[in-house]
Amino acid sequence: MYKVLRVLITIILAVLVLFPLFYTISASFFSPQDFTDTKAHLLPSEFSFRNYELALTHRYFPVYALNSLITALLTATLKCLTAILSAFAFTHLSFKGKKALLITLLATLFIPPDAMLYENYVMTARLGLLDTYLGIVFPSIFSATAMLLTMGSYLSADKDIYEASAIDGAGDLRYISSILVPMTAPVSITIFLQSFISAFNSYLWPLLVTTRPRMRTIQIGITMLGFAEEGEMGAQFASIAIITLPCLVLLFFCRKMIMKALSGGIK
Amino acid sequence: MLKLPNVMRTKSFKAYLFLLPAMIVALLFSFLPLAKCLMLSFFTVSQSGRIVAFNGLGNYISLFQNSDFINSVLNTLKFIIIFLPVNTFLTLLAAAVTRKARRTTAVTEFIFLTPLAMSLSALALIMKEIFRGRVSVINRLTDLSLSWLEESGSAMAVLVILSLFLDFALDYILLLAAFRSTDKSIIEAAEIDGAHGMSLFFRIELPSIRNVLAVTIFTALKDAILISAPVMVLTEGGPFRSTETVMYYYYLEAFRSGNRATETTIAVIMVLFSVIIMSLISRRRRDV
Repeated sequence: MYKVLRVLITIILAVLVLFPLFYTISASFFSPQDFTDTKAHLLPSEFSFRNYELALTHRYFPVYALNSLITALLTATLKCLTAILSAFAFTHLSFKGKKALLITLLATLFIPPDAMLYENYVMTARLGLLDTYLGIVFPSIFSATAMLLTMGSYLSADKDIYEASAIDGAGDLRYISSILVPMTAPVSITIFLQSFISAFNSYLWPLLVTTRPRMRTIQIGITMLGFAEEGEMGAQFASIAIITLPCLVLLFFCRKMIMKALSGGIK
Repeated sequence: MLKLPNVMRTKSFKAYLFLLPAMIVALLFSFLPLAKCLMLSFFTVSQSGRIVAFNGLGNYISLFQNSDFINSVLNTLKFIIIFLPVNTFLTLLAAAVTRKARRTTAVTEFIFLTPLAMSLSALALIMKEIFRGRVSVINRLTDLSLSWLEESGSAMAVLVILSLFLDFALDYILLLAAFRSTDKSIIEAAEIDGAHGMSLFFRIELPSIRNVLAVTIFTALKDAILISAPVMVLTEGGPFRSTETVMYYYYLEAFRSGNRATETTIAVIMVLFSVIIMSLISRRRRDV
């Protein structure tokens, strides 16, 4: 009885959760008529890649996709770097004002970027970074959460190796790049993956700081491709399917890692 | 170990250098903007951000006398009251039915994680199409004839559905991790005492994850209070301002009307809210 109920609930929830994704993939093969039939289609009436051709040959689609790839890679790389450097300083070095600086950086957790949206926009404009990659990524290249996660893994790193490498004359940067980071790679990779996905999927900030079509990222781009207005809803869904696929693949292969990263503080 | 003073000094310098990138970002995009908002919220400010006169609590008072703002507060409350229980129920249910490791675990986990791969704008486009007009896909499938996005109540419902998809995977992961980290010996002891299935779940397992559950709810609450981007892509606050939330109103005031007084005042209030909720979260987190 309990088992039947459990399986039933799982299936119902799975169907609900998968519906948008299922409809997107199915509709990406729809012909224009499939969208307007009096009986709603759940599966395409015929199978053709026409919608994918339309999406991929759109003048701006590759530009948008490239912009997203560049900004997501930049964000993920730089976020890992700032997390590694600051976590190293807090766990391996002794210096004046350590506690105060740590508290200062952790305090950023209490200031929601959404509430600073306009001021951050003004700041970015004043720095002359509107319509640049740096402007898109700058506010998100430091995250206190990522730093905390990295610090956690560095605390358990063996300090003897650090001292031994210092005696051998290896500098701190050398120690970080050839011993510390390889030793704690899983943590850095999870931070990288998670920030890549969230940067790739971000909408509001890139929308605000870009104005030229050439600088738009794909998340803004897909709302501006104009397929819906031309009656080509299928191509609209094909473009959604194309940008969702990479994240799905990442999720499929790195599921365990991503889950570990996102559950963060909870063991 | 004896440390020479000049060694300490070089270490200090190096440490500051390593912390510089993090500090620059924190300063430019958290502390300076916050300081500016705090200060400007007590002044009469021109559109370009120039201070005209000291206004005391004037900005705060006139904000709470502004009917558009009150409307946005009520809409946000309405959103929270619908979203929070449904979100908690569904994510808890999904985590509960898949919490034990089985042969199908890899499949169910992947399915419940897929919303993570879908971006806000992709989901919003899908929702818009599924709920478009009187002949929407949903209506044709269910024989309804509701213009979902053109009527106040149902537009809010679609906004809630969109937000459920955005939060689902993350909350699911947190709750699942919590269930799996429950002390096995307690469960085994309860099983020996004769607790099984439902009673084991409600008496032992659910109480043991209450802290994580609280963290999940508080986090969802914080996100719900701050909701703006889904409103922007889905409804633009319409129809008839029925989905205009506080942070969407903030966006309109800041970027469309250039009203710096309202913008900074709302920002300060929102930071206060987030500080309160974050401290509730961190208190729970410590004893997770």
